[in-house]
Amino acid sequence: MNQHIYLRAYMAGIVVPTIFLLVVATVFTIARYVYNIPVPVERVIVFPMAVVPNAWGLWNILFITLRSRLRLSIGLHGALLPILLAPLGIVVASLLNFPIPNFAAHALPIAGPVALIVYYFAWKYLVGFLNRVQQIA
Amino acid sequence: MSNEENDKEMKELLKQTIATVNDAGLRRDLWPQMLQKLSQPPAGVPWFDWVLAAILSAVLVFFPGSIPALLYQL
Repeated sequence: MNQHIYLRAYMAGIVVPTIFLLVVATVFTIARYVYNIPVPVERVIVFPMAVVPNAWGLWNILFITLRSRLRLSIGLHGALLPILLAPLGIVVASLLNFPIPNFAAHALPIAGPVALIVYYFAWKYLVGFLNRVQQIA
Repeated sequence: MSNEENDKEMKELLKQTIATVNDAGLRRDLWPQMLQKLSQPPAGVPWFDWVLAAILSAVLVFFPGSIPALLYQL
């Protein structure tokens, strides 16, 4: 059962954000088309749809590759990912001329630590479980 | 060394090896220990995670504006 370890790591990594994307897309779509919030979400939806799941898959491959050398827990490893994704998300949003709403802009300093904690939990309990299912933990 | 002597020596070596293999059986039953391990409760959630969960809940309640930014990152 030691075959295709990196492929299994990638698959285990993309499951959580791919499922959660349903929630994100539903919330954004309802906000945009039901409550007519004047924020062009469709411009930046590519980021949570394409970039984030792939980043999770690749980050899990990195975890499997480095685990024997770094001895970092999977929760802490996952908590480091927003440090990479947050600036990338801001760059994508600015390149696509996405107007960040005022309330979200004010919440950004708080959203950073929140993202770290959420990622810590998601990686420790969800991706860790999926890695055990895939027998690569 | 003649063929007969060679065969004899080979026989002795084989006997020694087989005797060693025959002696490799378990000296005690491991199943009770396995059952004991299986019946142990799983490791609980550490206190540190409970604290983080409480902080996270409080932040999301008091700063709901951070939720869209969080959704964008997930």
